[in-house]
Amino acid sequence: MSLLDVKNLKIYYFTLKGVVRAVDDVSFNVREGEVLGIAGESGSGKSTLGYGLMRLVPPPGRIVGGNIVVSGRDIVSMDEGTLRREIRWKVISMIFQGALNALNPVYTIGKQLVEPIIFHEDVSLKEAYERAAEMVKLVGLNEDVLRRYPHELSGGMKQRVMIAMALILRPKIVIADEPTTALDVVIQAQIMNLFKKIKKELNQSIIFITHDLSLIAEIADNVAVMYAGKIVEYGNSDNVFNTPKHPYTQGLLKSIPRLKSKEKLSWIPGTPPDLRNPPVGCRFHPRCPYVMDVCRREEPPIKDVGGNHLVACWLY
Amino acid sequence: MKKLLRNELLRIFLSSSISKIGIIFLAIMIIASAYVVMFMPLDFGLRYWNNPTFWADYPKLVPPEWVNIFLGNKLLRHTILITEKPTLSLEDTKQYILTYSHDTDQLPQTIVFKLNNITFTYTPIIELSVRRPDGRVINLLVIQPLTSGVSERVDLSGRLEVAVALSRFLKDEFNVSISATEVIQRKLEFKILMGTPVISNGYVDFKTLRGNYMFNVFLKSDDPTARIGSVEVVIFGWCYGLMGTDHLGRDLSQALLYGFPVALLIGVVTSVITAVVGALAGVVSGYYGGIVDEVIQRLCDVLNNIPLLPLLIFFMFVIRMNEELRRTVSPLAVIIIVLVVFSWAGIAIIVRSMVLSIKSQQFIEASVAVGASSIRIMFKHILPQVAPFIFAQMMFLTPSAILSEAALSLLGLSDPSIPTWGQILESAFANQAMYLGLWWWIVPPGLLIMYSAITFVFIAQGLEPIVEPRLRKV
Amino acid sequence: MVDKILIVEDLRKYYPIRRSLSEILMFKRGRYVRAVDGVSFYVNDGEVYCIVGESGCGKTTTGRLVTKLIEPTGGVIRYKPSSALARINNEFVVGGYVDYRRLPKKYVKLLRREVQIIFQDPYGSLDPRQTIYSILEEPLVIHGIGNDRKEREELIFKVLEDVKLSPPEEFINRYPHMLSGGQRQRVNIARALILGPKLVVADEPVSMLDVSVRAEILQLMMDLKISRGLTYVFITHDLAVANYICDRVAVMYLGKIVEEADMLKLVNEPLHPYTKALISAVPEPNPSNRFKIREVPIVGEVPSAAAVPPGCRFHPRCPYVMDVCRREEPPIKDVGGNHLVACWLY
Repeated sequence: MSLLDVKNLKIYYFTLKGVVRAVDDVSFNVREGEVLGIAGESGSGKSTLGYGLMRLVPPPGRIVGGNIVVSGRDIVSMDEGTLRREIRWKVISMIFQGALNALNPVYTIGKQLVEPIIFHEDVSLKEAYERAAEMVKLVGLNEDVLRRYPHELSGGMKQRVMIAMALILRPKIVIADEPTTALDVVIQAQIMNLFKKIKKELNQSIIFITHDLSLIAEIADNVAVMYAGKIVEYGNSDNVFNTPKHPYTQGLLKSIPRLKSKEKLSWIPGTPPDLRNPPVGCRFHPRCPYVMDVCRREEPPIKDVGGNHLVACWLY
Repeated sequence: MKKLLRNELLRIFLSSSISKIGIIFLAIMIIASAYVVMFMPLDFGLRYWNNPTFWADYPKLVPPEWVNIFLGNKLLRHTILITEKPTLSLEDTKQYILTYSHDTDQLPQTIVFKLNNITFTYTPIIELSVRRPDGRVINLLVIQPLTSGVSERVDLSGRLEVAVALSRFLKDEFNVSISATEVIQRKLEFKILMGTPVISNGYVDFKTLRGNYMFNVFLKSDDPTARIGSVEVVIFGWCYGLMGTDHLGRDLSQALLYGFPVALLIGVVTSVITAVVGALAGVVSGYYGGIVDEVIQRLCDVLNNIPLLPLLIFFMFVIRMNEELRRTVSPLAVIIIVLVVFSWAGIAIIVRSMVLSIKSQQFIEASVAVGASSIRIMFKHILPQVAPFIFAQMMFLTPSAILSEAALSLLGLSDPSIPTWGQILESAFANQAMYLGLWWWIVPPGLLIMYSAITFVFIAQGLEPIVEPRLRKV
Repeated sequence: MVDKILIVEDLRKYYPIRRSLSEILMFKRGRYVRAVDGVSFYVNDGEVYCIVGESGCGKTTTGRLVTKLIEPTGGVIRYKPSSALARINNEFVVGGYVDYRRLPKKYVKLLRREVQIIFQDPYGSLDPRQTIYSILEEPLVIHGIGNDRKEREELIFKVLEDVKLSPPEEFINRYPHMLSGGQRQRVNIARALILGPKLVVADEPVSMLDVSVRAEILQLMMDLKISRGLTYVFITHDLAVANYICDRVAVMYLGKIVEEADMLKLVNEPLHPYTKALISAVPEPNPSNRFKIREVPIVGEVPSAAAVPPGCRFHPRCPYVMDVCRREEPPIKDVGGNHLVACWLY
């Protein structure tokens, strides 16, 4: 039984210059205790997808189709009040991109951590503070940060606070949208270790959104690779990383510089398409080294190539 | 491509209805101003507006003609009859006949005969008379001009000879006796001239006689060279023109029209100079930083905290009191200068903060790296970025300059040689227009001041999405 | 023996911190952010010299100092000019080297033709209101290169071809926002190269680009290095990127170089505890990593450059900290084979 079931989700931005199909017919699921990594480059729709799962797509974006079923309840059709009271933050929460600025500078960390508890649950302030303290310790911070203000904390500490805040109501799913982009590599490693610890100790389901495939390899059980608003490859991490099927995934993996080898780097020529006006057929075909006639005409369906390894490519 | 970008901004600007209204309003202002510049004398204020003799033949304190549309009882129209050639020319007499058709019960305020440019060798005799619709003739007056080349202006009301003639006419024709002094005191001149007496219960009343009146001027002389340049008869009515008149009989529509280019001039000149000065100071302050920045910013702080209106009043007062200054300095120029001096600081402060953030953008550093000079960076890279903002500020400044001038005029501290809407309002207040209910003297200038302010506010509002992309509709 | 094109000695750049009113009233000494605090290195002609470090370590400031975008607080930068600047026989050219401090203002423009910089941000480093043509024309106009529009156009077309934005006609009339990140970075490179520089400082040129185009830009830079005989000072936070293009690498920490070696040597035998931590923290796209906690031997975060710890500035985070580290700053020492390290362990 999966915790989160996304089916044929479509999120479009209705701009004056045309409809941007940021997320176009995307399906996946997340089981309990599982980490799904969503990888994609800028403009692939991965961040929109993250906001869509919280139903927080900024206007002029709208969810135009599909279902997001969280613990058996479809949040696409749910009214805003119910969503806010019963789902958002309580069942599914988020660590925002650029989290370093997401804390309010005029309140203490404690006050900001306690706020969602008081809003959602009928508990005393003292009890709420106790829970906040517990959570702070879990993310590897000293209890006394509760009394401190955001500007007194370093970047890594703020990021830990953001993680604590996302976990404070013990949601079933946490969406982490580029949680380490602003951090230095040493701190990034520490934060990744924290995610591993949370995953293991709390059996937490996490959706980890990033442009960096290396980070996904560090944490994710399953990987979905997005390109131009679509999932082009989806499957178990070992399968996707070790035997990538889609030419885009292959190209992406080959373009990552590695420290321990000096293998020649390759790259994917061309630029990602304009999502207002995506190419006909497979959206990747103008950049694909294996392009065939059918790719230019028809969009490839997503197909299981064995072992729950799904690929949307005419090669298979 | 550049054109495309511009069109894009224009499209954004025109996408809001508020900016469309603003543009239409502005177009009207510009058309009115262009009309004034092309067809009205530029020294209209000195030559006409402030010259009471020019307005002598206009009715005083009357509403516009179009009120007749809304009123049941029609107000008498102001009429000027004029002829240059004698109607009849005999050997020793030249007769000028001017016919006037009267079709309401209302009597004129007064009737004035104007005999312009009487020339002669020997003194002629000039007789004025009226032939009424009932065929009766009243000989009003005989005058003998003393020198050649003068003009005679004869106001029938309050003139003793006329009153005597009318009194005699009444006695002879209707056997009603009212003394000449009584005629003048009771202002009966035109009741007698244009009416038939009706006696009821011992009181004399007059019934207005409708029909064609013939005003006759006889120039009697043996001298063949004697002539009158032109003969005018002015029948002073009870309504005038498009906008009515003020206490001096001045046609308000002309001053209101003249106010358009003046308002535009004050507004645009002030805002353009302010914006240019403010932008330059802001860019220099933000770009150079350090001591330059400190000096400019502190100066801005000081200027920003000095109240503007009392200061303007003070300056105006100084100019008024000093004979020398009054002749050499235009108060309008002082208003513009003071407004500029005290409003550039606001722009400079905001532009500086914008420059600080633009300066930290990498393309500025990239320009330095390829060797660009400070001047080049300021004018080529920084100024274009703040330009839309400055333009919008200009639009916001324009109405405030117009309003400041109006406020000063209202306090009687403006340039009297150039009529502005504020000055019309001021003279209305000074002459109790409010208490007398002379709405046509107060409402139009007030509305026009608001109109001009709103025009620029609307345009500025429309420009906001261009300046602040976050306000754009996507 | 290869010529050294750039020699930097004891370079320092301090930024004063604005004192509060109470501090001024109490006559407290002004404090400084020591962004660069005694850095010495040299760059050989034709090599790629990398400066690696985390944010705030002073690597970008070093790059700005070397390109003379900012003036140093202290220290010496000497550059070996090869064209017009070298021919000027003057007191500021000593032994074939130009001393930045002595270079008169009017000759700075000549230096700019030889020393250029590629910026990190492909979005922010191009004026959004200029077309590609006018962005690339600007350096030519400033330096009076090319007599007429046609001549300049030829130069612009040539450099656009060089950075593989072809056909150039298709790009010259575009605005930056109409280009992808990778294309913008090519324009950035083109602007840096149009004056024909010898030494190019590349400040994180690929860090803001998508992974799939990074390799392409790096390859382009390497091709240009050979075809135009360039020398790079390559600044990056990413050791894996450095690994692909660098010959020698320096690791900076809090305004100082803590270790310098050939790239291969540094990756395989890092000596300084900080370098070791950096290397261990680099993630690799290997899914088996998800089952194990990555050992990062150091704790805490980089302290502020306004409050540099006494002694070795790394000692509060060092797992091997000794008494001497807290007292005295370690000198930078050659441990053999041009491998320099500033640590009391060696």
